[in-house]
Amino acid sequence: MIAEELITDKGVSAGDEWITVAAPRLREALAALKEDGYRLLVFLSCVDHLADSSREWPARFELLYELRDMEKLRDLRVRAFVDGDPPQIDSVHDLFPPANWDERETYDMFGVVFNGHPELTRILMPDDWVGHPLRRDYPVGGEPVEFSEEHETWLTPPTEA
Amino acid sequence: MADAANGGLTVSIEDTTGQGVTITQSGQQGAFGGELLTINFGPHHPSTHGVLRLIVDLDGEKVKRVKPVIGYLHTGIEKQMEALRWQQGVVCTDRHDYLSPPINNLAYALAVERLMGVEVPPRAQALRVIMSELTRLSSHLVWLGTSGIELGAMSVLMYCFRERDTIMDMNEEISGFRMHTSYIRPGGVMADATPRFFDLLAKFLREMPGHIDEYEDLLTMNPIWRARTIGIGRLAPEVAKVVGASGPMIRGSGIAWDLRKVMPYSGYENYDFEVATNDGCDCYARYLVRIQEMRESVKILAQAVDRLPDGPVNVDDRKMLPPPREELETSMEAVIHHFKLFTEGYSVPPGDVYVAVESGRGENGCYISSDGTHKPRRVKFRSASFVNLQALERMALDHMVADLVAIIGTADTVLGDVDR
Repeated sequence: MIAEELITDKGVSAGDEWITVAAPRLREALAALKEDGYRLLVFLSCVDHLADSSREWPARFELLYELRDMEKLRDLRVRAFVDGDPPQIDSVHDLFPPANWDERETYDMFGVVFNGHPELTRILMPDDWVGHPLRRDYPVGGEPVEFSEEHETWLTPPTEA
Repeated sequence: MADAANGGLTVSIEDTTGQGVTITQSGQQGAFGGELLTINFGPHHPSTHGVLRLIVDLDGEKVKRVKPVIGYLHTGIEKQMEALRWQQGVVCTDRHDYLSPPINNLAYALAVERLMGVEVPPRAQALRVIMSELTRLSSHLVWLGTSGIELGAMSVLMYCFRERDTIMDMNEEISGFRMHTSYIRPGGVMADATPRFFDLLAKFLREMPGHIDEYEDLLTMNPIWRARTIGIGRLAPEVAKVVGASGPMIRGSGIAWDLRKVMPYSGYENYDFEVATNDGCDCYARYLVRIQEMRESVKILAQAVDRLPDGPVNVDDRKMLPPPREELETSMEAVIHHFKLFTEGYSVPPGDVYVAVESGRGENGCYISSDGTHKPRRVKFRSASFVNLQALERMALDHMVADLVAIIGTADTVLGDVDR
């Protein structure tokens, strides 16, 4: 059973139960929940709350861990809020194997660093990509489209390129 | 490149990708004293279902390590959806798992509806079930045809695509589009089904059980098919649970886990069907599960058509869906609603929700976080292919490289769904 002092906040959103835990103690909380029967990590992701005025947010990045108990058929969403540059949190890849690629994706898209991950590299974007595309301050259409008329290589004559 | 100094036998590939691709030859000895050979499998290999790239370490022909490299089909759908209004996002959901668009639509529509506290009418729910099951059939047909071709059974593809084309015709009839239907939308469905759709569906339901028998005649007792799939790619039940496998991958390991049964949505609890499972845990078991699922889908479709309720197919909410065309000419209010919807769209109350549906590949979920504006703050697709692909190495270890093709095939990953 998860200790009460780990939970800083809890509630129900559109029928989904959720709890918030302090980011430094996330691993401890998830390990306790795994003991409690939530043995499957359905997905792990992040929400960027930059300039989100819908309510007060404790930090910019909200990490989400959707856990499932396949015996008792219940889901639980665990939230943890992190800030900083880069934002950091402990990896849970050894507790939940599916977290391995999810953490790489979250690193790739949001730049959240998962401490203890065996191979924290980009997974969807090219390895030499600059920036983290799903952050809210990363513009849509910000990069030139290759092989299009606007692309700079078209503006340079082949002799000078 | 071959290293001429060592007699041209050592193969060394530089680690230019920066992905931690360690290709070490020295110190790793194979069973027969030879060195491990690292090969690049894909991304343009015809058996990789799109653009999957695998880095495979081989000892002779035995697979010793598999490292999938993905992202070649990343299209930024989740980013794109943050820039689109709620009703516009539907077209993006069609395109990530491009073999089952209506099921993706359904996950997104259910998530938006749950955030808004909206319940769609019964006829819309039944039409959603019909479209989901047709999609499951067409997705399994593509899987069966392509897997057959990869293992040398060329003619199966012709049979499967014949039936898939009739499903595409039905898609066209009901939504005007053969593949990316965008038929299921928040608040209901695009339009009611036409009488011709039901004619096509009735003919399809009459013929389909016979066609499934045909596929089974071609494959189930086929000695080559059995030799290539039985005992290949074992995924033990306890491993399948731990790695988060879903869909035919977990049911082929003997676990009766089907979201339509365990967490019913869209009225699936009212239909009488069996969850197809098989204890074989191998590629052949996953094949049998999919064949059985196609039969169950036909059963669900027949029941859905039989008791299709009458009534509207959309919620009666002018703030969410546009008014009928004829009202625009007589009602000022209708014009205002129409204008508001197509310029600003509607807002969804703040909060977040996760809805999972069972697609042909497993649990395809949609997580939405709303900040109360007319565009989503974050949309995340939990795709079955992405999670199932992580189990590839566990299944492929110590098999021959040719069996790897069978294992990728029966994992049934859609790379658009993996990379989103």
